[in-house]
Amino acid sequence: MGTENPGRPNFPARPTFPFASPPPTMTPFTSSGPVVGSEVSGFRPTPPAAPQNIMPFSSSGPPVGSGAPAFRPSPPARFNDPSVSAPTTYVPPTGGPYQRFPTPSTAQAPPAHAPPMGQQPNQPPQAQTHFRPQPQIPSVPMGFPPQSVNSVPFTGNIPYSSSDSSFSASRPNFQPSFSPVDSSYSAARVRLQPPLPGYASKQSNPVTQAPPIPSAFPLHQGGYVPNPPTSSSPFHTHQGSLFPPPPVATPLGLHSRDQMQHPGSLPPVGGIQGLMEDFSSLSLGSVPGSIEPGLDPKALPRPLDGDVEPKSFAEMYPLNCSSRYLRLTTTAIPNSQSLVSRWHLPLGAVVCPLAEPPDGEEVPIVNFASSIIRCRRCRTYVNPYVTFTDAGRKWRCNICSLLNDVPGEYFAPLDATGRRMDLDQRPELTKGSVEFVAPTEYMVRPPMPPLYFFLIDVSVSAIRSGMIEVVAQTIRSCLDELPGFPRTQIGFITYDSAIHFYNMKSSLTQPQMMVVSDLDDLFVPLPDDLLVNLSESKNVVETFLDSLPSMFQDNVNVESAFGPALKAAFMVMSQLGGKLLIFQNTLPSLGVGRLKLRGDDLRVYGTDKEHALRIAEDPFYKQMAADFTKFQIAVDVFAFSDKYTDIASLGTLAKYTGGQVCYYPNFQSAIHGEKLKHELARDLTRETAWESVMRVRCGKGIRFSSYHGNFMLRSTDLLALPAVDCDKAFAMQLSLEETLLTNQTVFFQVALLYTASCGERRIRVHTAAAPVVADLGEMYRQADTGAIVSLFSRLAIEKTLSSKLEDARNALQLRMVKALKEYRNLYAVQHRLGARMIYPESLKFLVLYGLALCKSIPLRGGYADSQLDERCAAGYTMMSLPVKKLLNLLYPSLIRVDEYLLKPSSQVDEFKEIKRLPLAAESLDSRGLYIYDDGFRLVIWFGRMLSPDIAINLLGSEFAAELSRVILGEHDNEMSRKLMRLINKLRENDRSSFQLCHLVRQGEQPREGFFLLANLVEDQIGGTSGYVDWVLQIHRQVQQNA
Amino acid sequence: MAGLIGWLLTFFILISLIGVVAFQLVCLTDLEFDYINPYDLAVRFNKIVLPEFVTQGVLCIVFLLTGHWFMFLLSLPYLWYNVRLYMQKKHSVDVTEIYNQLHWEKKQRLIKLGYLIVTLVMCLFWLLWTIGVDDDEY
Repeated sequence: MGTENPGRPNFPARPTFPFASPPPTMTPFTSSGPVVGSEVSGFRPTPPAAPQNIMPFSSSGPPVGSGAPAFRPSPPARFNDPSVSAPTTYVPPTGGPYQRFPTPSTAQAPPAHAPPMGQQPNQPPQAQTHFRPQPQIPSVPMGFPPQSVNSVPFTGNIPYSSSDSSFSASRPNFQPSFSPVDSSYSAARVRLQPPLPGYASKQSNPVTQAPPIPSAFPLHQGGYVPNPPTSSSPFHTHQGSLFPPPPVATPLGLHSRDQMQHPGSLPPVGGIQGLMEDFSSLSLGSVPGSIEPGLDPKALPRPLDGDVEPKSFAEMYPLNCSSRYLRLTTTAIPNSQSLVSRWHLPLGAVVCPLAEPPDGEEVPIVNFASSIIRCRRCRTYVNPYVTFTDAGRKWRCNICSLLNDVPGEYFAPLDATGRRMDLDQRPELTKGSVEFVAPTEYMVRPPMPPLYFFLIDVSVSAIRSGMIEVVAQTIRSCLDELPGFPRTQIGFITYDSAIHFYNMKSSLTQPQMMVVSDLDDLFVPLPDDLLVNLSESKNVVETFLDSLPSMFQDNVNVESAFGPALKAAFMVMSQLGGKLLIFQNTLPSLGVGRLKLRGDDLRVYGTDKEHALRIAEDPFYKQMAADFTKFQIAVDVFAFSDKYTDIASLGTLAKYTGGQVCYYPNFQSAIHGEKLKHELARDLTRETAWESVMRVRCGKGIRFSSYHGNFMLRSTDLLALPAVDCDKAFAMQLSLEETLLTNQTVFFQVALLYTASCGERRIRVHTAAAPVVADLGEMYRQADTGAIVSLFSRLAIEKTLSSKLEDARNALQLRMVKALKEYRNLYAVQHRLGARMIYPESLKFLVLYGLALCKSIPLRGGYADSQLDERCAAGYTMMSLPVKKLLNLLYPSLIRVDEYLLKPSSQVDEFKEIKRLPLAAESLDSRGLYIYDDGFRLVIWFGRMLSPDIAINLLGSEFAAELSRVILGEHDNEMSRKLMRLINKLRENDRSSFQLCHLVRQGEQPREGFFLLANLVEDQIGGTSGYVDWVLQIHRQVQQNA
Repeated sequence: MAGLIGWLLTFFILISLIGVVAFQLVCLTDLEFDYINPYDLAVRFNKIVLPEFVTQGVLCIVFLLTGHWFMFLLSLPYLWYNVRLYMQKKHSVDVTEIYNQLHWEKKQRLIKLGYLIVTLVMCLFWLLWTIGVDDDEY
């Protein structure tokens, strides 16, 4: 390692860096012994769990001090060349500097520290990368001729590097010892450079995690939090260097570093290897030996492992809520406006407040006897990042840093280390996600019971498709599982050209039907008995549901008085709120809110009027949606027609009420019945939060400026969600209010106030912290592709509502190009990038997801590429999907299963070995059997030359029939059972929707094209570009005026 | 004398227009600072949008009838803008999207207000001028 890296560009500069930024601090450092001691004394009481750490530390102080002077005289001239040449402005991209500190120190006092704790396994991966530099340090200086004589500040530097060099060979041995030392060091650094404590905590977390978990908290609770605690060293260092010169310094810094490197990087190998650490790249130049310029399609990055969340963040802040609930597009928050403007990707978060936790990680419920502990000023809920002071009588809010009184009944004394004695009984102080039971102050009315109201279309098309039968059966089978027994309320309205109300009072044996056909002057008969308590009237409800399909089986009415029926439902429900499920089979044709056929006009496409097709035609729907939200009614729309139903208008109801749109084009109960059954059952039985509002608070200087998803804003930052469940996610964008953020950490707190089905009012609180950085490179490194893609998709879909599809796609592409260009500029100066396309490792899939997004149903092509209704439905769905599900939809998995089926062994877990394939036609072998899974449906593709055995085994006697009519079922043979097991396994992965199997035979048009070929995002379909072309295209644009 | 009455009329129309626009602006600001919920805002706001448009139309007609061509031309863009909004059915605020439109709506109101104040100043000038001329005649 020492030999291969001499040329590594970054090094020379790094050691110098810490000194450069705050030169005066150097002196303390060289004489760190005493300083450290004093610092520690102040520090010692606070970090409770780590007294042992401190001891090593103070002991290590002296060695450092003594070590440094010893070295001081000899090497200055040699070493400070780098430090001089790159002084103030250097911004190291990987942010290694701090790590460099510790090592020297370990080196100097190795015997003392090496043994105490072998922390290596616990260290976050980045720590390792940081270390890599060290051995190289010595070698770099060698390459430099001494250029200037050292001044005092630099003397400190020398010892490190020299000691480093002497120890580099044995570096691996030191590593384990590193973290303990480091944690103790951190104390010293508190003084040395303000940012350091953050580093300390980051590093020390792993250390303190060795003892049982609670001990990790004290660290935060105690001394660390008040100082900007939890941000990691790299950020701080950058900040340090940047503060004096404004952010412009970044490029400058790079530049100077670049100059510096040149001597060092002369050996070409070094340069490239250095690069490899900073970013990933794709070689687009001609491959040696081939004439064709271009890139190897196999080398392109593909998310074949699904969504990979950035791990480092969770490790850095173990107290944060899980990424299931909150994902930031970059976990490094920019500290200045100018940095934001250079970050062309969306800056924001995706929040899924009720995401389903895996077993054993349920969100703890906290019941305060009195009122909930909140900050007086900013109303933040008490969370793990607040700090207790004044012997436990006061607590400091982590968001607005106001000192609040601790109420008497919440008081607990602090122990010697500053942590609360009762910490282990306080989940709200140790977990990033908790649920508070809200007292009556949080209610404007008594908590509502769960209420399900069904609005069912019984016109002739609904009868014919068999929808009513499936719906009635499903509702009936779910009656016992509806949440909130015994308070659950239920009610029904059916409609065709008239509106039918049902009196289901428990005293009746049969439901009573009342027909209102005056649509203009609508009234609700018997307003009290239309909504009944399910547990009381269960028999009547069951009778009703049993007879519903037969009641209308001879109905020949083709009209649909949807608007009046909606109003009627509103009148019935407005007392309580709840959930309204609409089953609509035709275009609303009577009364208010009637809609006309549109979208057939080809000429509208490509003009400025195109977008009007994708928004509600009649303001009635928006107005109704607003009224529904006001009265806590959520609307879920199930639409079934094969003809135009104007989902754009109907979906508006779901969009502003926190609902969802489920579209089953050309519904036939024989084929789609099962899907509807599962999805309706899930809708009815999943845990639902009622009459909720959600707010996301964040630290001073930043705020959420726009929100994207299915909800309605009740005030600038309050999302009204009449009903919300685990399958809904909301995205929001951040903006900086101040030009420069001075704090080192920002906190986010998601608070969802809701009524649980059991009738309890609760507040679910998720808290997360993120470091503030001054370096664009760091932002890119900490980027989260999943969250970015999620925000991008929502922004793009919103754009299709106000402009052409093409504009939305171009805007998306432009932003990606800008971001990659900006990133390239970071490195273009000092590296010979040539024809390579460079991108941060964290964003390696961004380009592909961008392509997939452009080809997704809401954004793809033009008029002919997907039905208007399908487009709108997909748009509404994608607006509310959680990140993982969205990514799976954008880049579905494709697996080959024939080999698996033929393999004799039959272990259940075996299918995990099946590899996902790139989504290209090339992956499809005509001798194979493939499953395509996008989370909403499965497509099973039979190759033309697939062995007939397999087909017979799987399909039985129907193997030769037209596959559109064949329904996959289990046959009595091993292969079929195996396939069904596999399919069930795939379905279990994601229970939010039911993946219906579509069987497709190779060459069977147009089904093959529709189900599979159009969704192979890497292929060139119609006028769209394939993955390779797309990359080339993006690259070309990035290079233009780069 | 007819001239004076004409100017006085335009003056009062302008004052009322400014009042209406200022009221809209205040409503929007209230909404921004959460003193009012979007539902109430929409009700209050949409009630006075059309009166504003009509008043402005009347103002144009008054200019036209009193033969003040320049003032008429000056207020024509405003009229055209209003008519366009009305034709596109974008004149009333949308309660569901109000927060996304807030910024633009406020900006639009501010521009309108500035425009009206300029018109008012010119109108005052003409008013005083007319009074002066009238005095001279006597």
